Amino acid sequence: MTSVSVIDELKKAQILELLKQGKRIDGRTLDEPRKLKIETNAIPKANGSARVYLGDTEVICGVKIQPDRPFPDSGDKGLFICTAELLPLSHPTVETGPPQPPVIELARVTDRGIRESHMIDVSQLVIQKDKSVIGVFADVVVVDQDGNLFDACSYAATAALLTSKTPTWKMVDDSPSIVEGGEKQLPVNTIPVSVTMGKIGNYIVVDPNGDESESMDARVTITTDSNGNICALQKGGSDGFTQEEIIQCSELSVKVGAKIREQLKLAQQENR
Amino acid sequence: MADRRKYVIPGDIVTSGPFRPEQNVILEGNDIISTAVGISEIYEDSVKVIPLTGKYLPKINDLVIGKVVSHTSLSWELDINSCYIGFLPAMDVFGRDFSTHADELSSKLKTGDLVAARIANFDRTRDPLITISDRDLGKIDDGILIKISPNKVPRLIGKKGSMIQMIEMATNAAVTIGQNGWVVVSCETPKGLSKAKKAIEMVNEKAHIANLTDLVKDMLDEKDES
Repeated sequence: MTSVSVIDELKKAQILELLKQGKRIDGRTLDEPRKLKIETNAIPKANGSARVYLGDTEVICGVKIQPDRPFPDSGDKGLFICTAELLPLSHPTVETGPPQPPVIELARVTDRGIRESHMIDVSQLVIQKDKSVIGVFADVVVVDQDGNLFDACSYAATAALLTSKTPTWKMVDDSPSIVEGGEKQLPVNTIPVSVTMGKIGNYIVVDPNGDESESMDARVTITTDSNGNICALQKGGSDGFTQEEIIQCSELSVKVGAKIREQLKLAQQENR
Repeated sequence: MADRRKYVIPGDIVTSGPFRPEQNVILEGNDIISTAVGISEIYEDSVKVIPLTGKYLPKINDLVIGKVVSHTSLSWELDINSCYIGFLPAMDVFGRDFSTHADELSSKLKTGDLVAARIANFDRTRDPLITISDRDLGKIDDGILIKISPNKVPRLIGKKGSMIQMIEMATNAAVTIGQNGWVVVSCETPKGLSKAKKAIEMVNEKAHIANLTDLVKDMLDEKDES
């Protein structure tokens, strides 16, 4: 069937009409994210994992931790790589095959938010300098899609990393070998939280759902760390933001992010 | 009676004997076998299965609600909630003297527009041909779209339109039901609109319940008092 989903004009008009009255199509306020549910340890055999429900959006993240060769220019740092992909089952428009540009963007934005917040202290993930380091790979899969994949993927990856346990390795005969009983938590500095906001007409909505995503003119994803500092930002869509709107978005991302960070902390504590 | 209606899955033998196979059943030797998940019904000389779920299969002369998803220089493509794409030729809208140079299709219908349309021709080998040149057909300008299962459309209409009439009377809403399971509701008051929407969704969810009309009636009345 069709490869792009088209929102009907009537719904689009209805969304805008409701926004003018300060309401949203699913009854939320403009700065209210959907209900977030985090289940950690969703994949028992992974080093860490999480399943996250953000409204009707559902994503799973698995973390694999294994020794790897460091990048030539940073032999004193471990690796952290985060990927994201969509299951064909997640939405009628998703097809198998190489990832489309929006999916590549999703993976990069998810990765960047966590990487640039320096959540994982990669300097502690070195087995032998320039020879062998620990690589942390967080793979996120979207199972069900109803808008705002950026945040859902980010929360899943963060929750999975927060509850990940890494084995320790030592060099034996020039190759890393596992130390029995040396499991410990990943070295975590901060908890990044990404908040995506959509612009529909002149209104800024937090955590746009599927219908809102399709009728929004622009979007911005802002990631903040535990201190409330902005560490990553991605803007998309054809329309622009005014200076005031960007300031409003940043303030929203700190405010909304703080609440979500508490939920992530709670999920981490429950896992212990 | 209890014996005549039962739940079947594909491959189940509904009955055997001299019956005429109707919807969703095939005749294999002397057995009548279901091809769908649903409720079988055996009449005096015929057998059919009412499916519980499924996509819309176009039928000539059906009124459907379509959504414009794309257009070429000669025709629009409509999403009609089916495995087929609705094909609406430009000539149907612009008339016989349609010219690809002079007439711009997006000036009449653009992507995302909803239309009330009729299936003009369909033979399963090609995409269904759709027309909007008739009374009450054409672009829909207001209201909200509600999606229900195409198999539950008869239930929403009710016997001789009883169910839908009841909903329309109680809420003052105008309801256009497409056979493809897409329903457009428009109403002067937001309250009536949400009530009509609730009623339609209720029919969709509880279509298998026997005294559904009473349930819906209770729901509609109850809201009036509050």
